[in-house]
Amino acid sequence: MNGPMPARIPLDDACLPCGADVDLLLEQTAQGRGADRDAHQQRCVHCQAALGEFTALWEPVAEMAAAPVSVPPGLAAAVMRQVRHLVRDIWYTLEITELGAVRIAARIVAALARDSARMIPGVRVALGRSTHGKGAALAEKATFGHRHPHAAVGVLGRTAVVDLAVVIGYGDPAHQVAREIQRHVTATLRDQLGLRDVTVNVTIDDVVDDDRR
Amino acid sequence: MEDAYLVARAREGYLDAYELLVQRHSAMAYRVALRLTGNHHDAQDIAQEALIAAWENLDQFRGGSSFSTWLYQIVTRRALNKVTRGRDARSLDLLPEIADPAMEPGDKAERNLAVDAVTDALLALPFPQRTVIVLHHFERLSYAEIASVTGATEPAVRSHLFRARRALAKTLEDWK
Repeated sequence: MNGPMPARIPLDDACLPCGADVDLLLEQTAQGRGADRDAHQQRCVHCQAALGEFTALWEPVAEMAAAPVSVPPGLAAAVMRQVRHLVRDIWYTLEITELGAVRIAARIVAALARDSARMIPGVRVALGRSTHGKGAALAEKATFGHRHPHAAVGVLGRTAVVDLAVVIGYGDPAHQVAREIQRHVTATLRDQLGLRDVTVNVTIDDVVDDDRR
Repeated sequence: MEDAYLVARAREGYLDAYELLVQRHSAMAYRVALRLTGNHHDAQDIAQEALIAAWENLDQFRGGSSFSTWLYQIVTRRALNKVTRGRDARSLDLLPEIADPAMEPGDKAERNLAVDAVTDALLALPFPQRTVIVLHHFERLSYAEIASVTGATEPAVRSHLFRARRALAKTLEDWK
């Protein structure tokens, strides 16, 4: 197509005088295909002028897109420090000895608490549920694979708070069973894991009638 | 090692796996945040917060998209929050100055002017248009990937891109 060169870049128009879509021409140049001209564009002065101008306009954008961006060197390390901080503080016990630090994963505390609760006469089922604060909840959510299915626990330093939801047999004295769970779990965690302050919250969620089952 | 494998392990509590993901994707998180906000400090905050938020919400990541697409989504949302809070304290251009001894002083000055112009033009775009330009032309994401990041349809993404390119070209034309 022949004709006079366009006097201005038609960025306010939908189409060139030849009918070519301005948006498509911009897309073509922005995708680096300004030189890949179809049969019409090879003949059309309007398209050729627009493609040339758009290519020049887009050049600094393409240059900037291709240039590397310097990333702050400590970024990844700072992220992992924070993630570890969240996990370590909430999900490991910590005892400093003369030989170094001893950490015990919360899931170990949880497993031991659940198993020791199940040893108490009258307990039929011991299940866990999360009743922790916001920080513990976040860590629990993030590391849900580590969350023990049968006991919820929050630990910090040599202190542990364990929540146990239990089901007891029909006719068993609920209050006595709950007190016995608290005593036994506390003693177990102190003796076997070296924890100092242990709180065991027991919730009797249900009673079952063994004869009816 | 695939991202999907690392994500699966990270979800099980293996922090080493998440550390590899952070090492792989922190540069992207920072780069996108920098281009969307134009501010070095905001970009660093956004990237850091986004990567921690991703860890905190790993249980919500269903694997329907890639980890990087999910992270793009978190970064752009946080950048939008930062931008709409009205802060405007640009401390750094989108393109950090790189020493190039081969470049003549005149060329360098011209290039910096061009970089400034593109930076200004980009930041002058409405956030949705800026987002599609950054994701498509700077990050090389496809329309489908951008649709996944933004929750828009592919035609809507293309439409935003058309408008964004026109607006950017007009500003650059005025600058020239």
